[in-house]
Amino acid sequence: MARARKLAIRGVTLVGVLLTVLMLVVATLGATGLSDKMLGAIANEELRGIRQGLAQTIRDPGEIERVVQERREQLTAEYGLDQPWFFRLPGLLWRVLSLDLGSARTLKSFGGSSRVSDIVLERLPNTLILVTSALTITAILGLALGVKLATRVGTRTDRSISYVAAISNALPSWWIGILLLLFLSFQVGLFPSGGLYSTPPPATDLGRMADLLWHAALPILTLVLVTVGGWTFSVRSMVLNVAHEDFVTVARAKGLSEGLVMRRHIIRAAAPPIVTSLILSLANSIGGAILTESVFNWPGMGRLYFDAILALDEAVIIALTFLFTLIYVVARFILEILYLYLDPRVQY
Amino acid sequence: MSHASSKVVREVLSSGGGRVGALLLVSILLISIFVVLTFPLDFGTKQWSNPAVWADNPKSAPPVWTSFMSDDPTAEHVILETTTIASERKDGDLIVRSYVLDLDYTSLESPGFIALSMSNFTYHGKAPHVSLFVHRPDGTVLELYHLFVSGPAPGEASPISRFEDTPFRVNLGGEREVISVLSDLYRERHGQTLTSRDIFNLGAEKLLFGVIEDGDSKRPSILPGIYRFRVDFASEDPRDSLHLVKIVVGGSVFGAMGTDALGRDLAVGLLFGFPVALVIGLTTAFAVTTIGALLGIISGFVGGRVDTIIQRTSDVLANMPLLPLLIFFAFVLGQKLVIVILILIAFSWPGLTIVIRSMVLQVKTATFVEAARALGASRMRIMIRHIFPQVAPFVFSQLVFLVPGAILAEAALSFLGLGDPSIPTWGQILEYGFRSGAIYVGFWWWILPPGLLIVLTATTFVLLALSLEPIVNPRLRGVER
Repeated sequence: MARARKLAIRGVTLVGVLLTVLMLVVATLGATGLSDKMLGAIANEELRGIRQGLAQTIRDPGEIERVVQERREQLTAEYGLDQPWFFRLPGLLWRVLSLDLGSARTLKSFGGSSRVSDIVLERLPNTLILVTSALTITAILGLALGVKLATRVGTRTDRSISYVAAISNALPSWWIGILLLLFLSFQVGLFPSGGLYSTPPPATDLGRMADLLWHAALPILTLVLVTVGGWTFSVRSMVLNVAHEDFVTVARAKGLSEGLVMRRHIIRAAAPPIVTSLILSLANSIGGAILTESVFNWPGMGRLYFDAILALDEAVIIALTFLFTLIYVVARFILEILYLYLDPRVQY
Repeated sequence: MSHASSKVVREVLSSGGGRVGALLLVSILLISIFVVLTFPLDFGTKQWSNPAVWADNPKSAPPVWTSFMSDDPTAEHVILETTTIASERKDGDLIVRSYVLDLDYTSLESPGFIALSMSNFTYHGKAPHVSLFVHRPDGTVLELYHLFVSGPAPGEASPISRFEDTPFRVNLGGEREVISVLSDLYRERHGQTLTSRDIFNLGAEKLLFGVIEDGDSKRPSILPGIYRFRVDFASEDPRDSLHLVKIVVGGSVFGAMGTDALGRDLAVGLLFGFPVALVIGLTTAFAVTTIGALLGIISGFVGGRVDTIIQRTSDVLANMPLLPLLIFFAFVLGQKLVIVILILIAFSWPGLTIVIRSMVLQVKTATFVEAARALGASRMRIMIRHIFPQVAPFVFSQLVFLVPGAILAEAALSFLGLGDPSIPTWGQILEYGFRSGAIYVGFWWWILPPGLLIVLTATTFVLLALSLEPIVNPRLRGVER
């Protein structure tokens, strides 16, 4: 019962996060007058179209003005431009929360649709490919290395890896990406300089697959390089923490082999914190993908966010800020649940 | 306090990483002090973003020292200037004053461009005119260029000044007059007919400094020797004057760190980045640790409703994805460094508050706190004199640890093109290089150094934070490291 209560509290907090982020975004857009400006621009664009259409059929300029004026008032009311921004806020919040993301002003999906959900859904898989494969590689490498390091604490390898791990905190992913581009793409010519597929893309499915992998290699390598040091180090510390526990000593005293002790007793006990930090880094790397995708011109959600900001596309900006937060919050919540079930000792 | 700080210094210097970090920190501090003392405060707007300042530099030129590593000939960047009159003669009504600049040209590579600048003409009555001559080592004298200074505007009183603030500047290679002079020269000398398109394609500089030896008009070779540039300033009034004459012979390499596509000296921009990075990192870290520690101690010690409010707020803020929000706010609220720092502070303190609170909850139950309370100490006094010293080492290590995060966050924003345009940073230099495609053409000197400096500065603080860990966590002493 207590468990459910705690979970509920965490859930409420995370929903609070989501709402706060949305409110912040919408209120900032409103209070800075940006929202009015953007909606005004949309309305004017529409009016221009109407005026042109009318000019074809109606001769009298006064009549055109009258009709346009009428339409202008209609539009102003429709977009809520006749009210201050905070009256539009609840409606906007509700629409975004119910995942009715509206349509983009200038950005379009590759298929030509300007519905935000179409644009986002088209880009989401691209980001997921990048992030999940990088994370899988990092996780496997980090686990193998970290466990190995934990068995040789204090050796030179251990110490140097610890330093590398610490210093990788100081490495900006985008700069690593640029370095890889400079050396492996420009200097050596091993990899393409960006994008998802070659132009023109290969005809066969297999060829397309290989082409995608070839294009994804550098971005994935970038993400792995930046995260693997820190991840290895935290696996090492988590394993070490468990290795000092009494039940491990008991297992050893029973005469079990080192390998068996490591697999059955240490790693199993160290699993919960390891899994949680993996999920946490997944949630973080989705945000971090903004930078990597910008460097490699990878058409994912991060790149879209950046494009939306450049294009001043209010609907897309709000939708993506919401989605990034949503992904983050959902991952955090899954983590809370996992923590409860993976580690029976946790009682909050 | 002095005891504590000497302990910190000793601890930092006891580990190899700490020593490296301390050395780097001292160097960064010294460079920053040098920059603050020698650079103007409005360097960003007045110089860095002002193309006129960099007009005389070669564009996208690698550093000078790269010429030692390659066999390709390079042209040195030469700036010649004079304010003194070399000779004066009378030509009818006119007084002709000559300014002379000698260039000893030995490179096998032709200059990238040749620019003539003149500033501050003063005249009385009739407007003067200026002619530029070049005496080549082979004895030919070319009359390359003429400038007729604009006459007085109606009602303008003498003495009249022209090009006082911004000098008159011309890039000779692109001038029709120069091209036709060169065309004549090559026709008379070598019997070669070069159209203006040919000259434009070959580069007027190459022909001006060149000679055709084997009759192949497309391949002039460089004629080494002394080139004399003579500027004749002709006017009627003896009081008329021209202040400064400058000839810039554009090199193919430039300065210690090369230049970017606008000809900006990257060494200068990179230097300016030092104090900026320090200010971003240290301001953010100080503010975050102050707010975080203060609220953490209050939250943990006071408890009750205050605790709940602080904890809920920091829970919500700590769970927000930082980068998307940072991008959003920097975009909407304007690209100001102050705003970026404020946002970083606003979203970073909660993490610290949560940890400090849990530490305070432990310390609170210690007997010495109970004793202090029993002796009648006020809550304020207990918090300041008894609780704070217990968490101080951790707070201090967090102060150091927060610096690289802030520097990297600003660099990331700048890289996305959301940097403060009035304050150049390493991230912005990199961003401009990346946007203008420097990596696709291999301008490594533009891409590598700013990134390396970001990494180096961040690493400095990471190393320091690492070396401080034994103070924060005494159990680590001699066990793991």
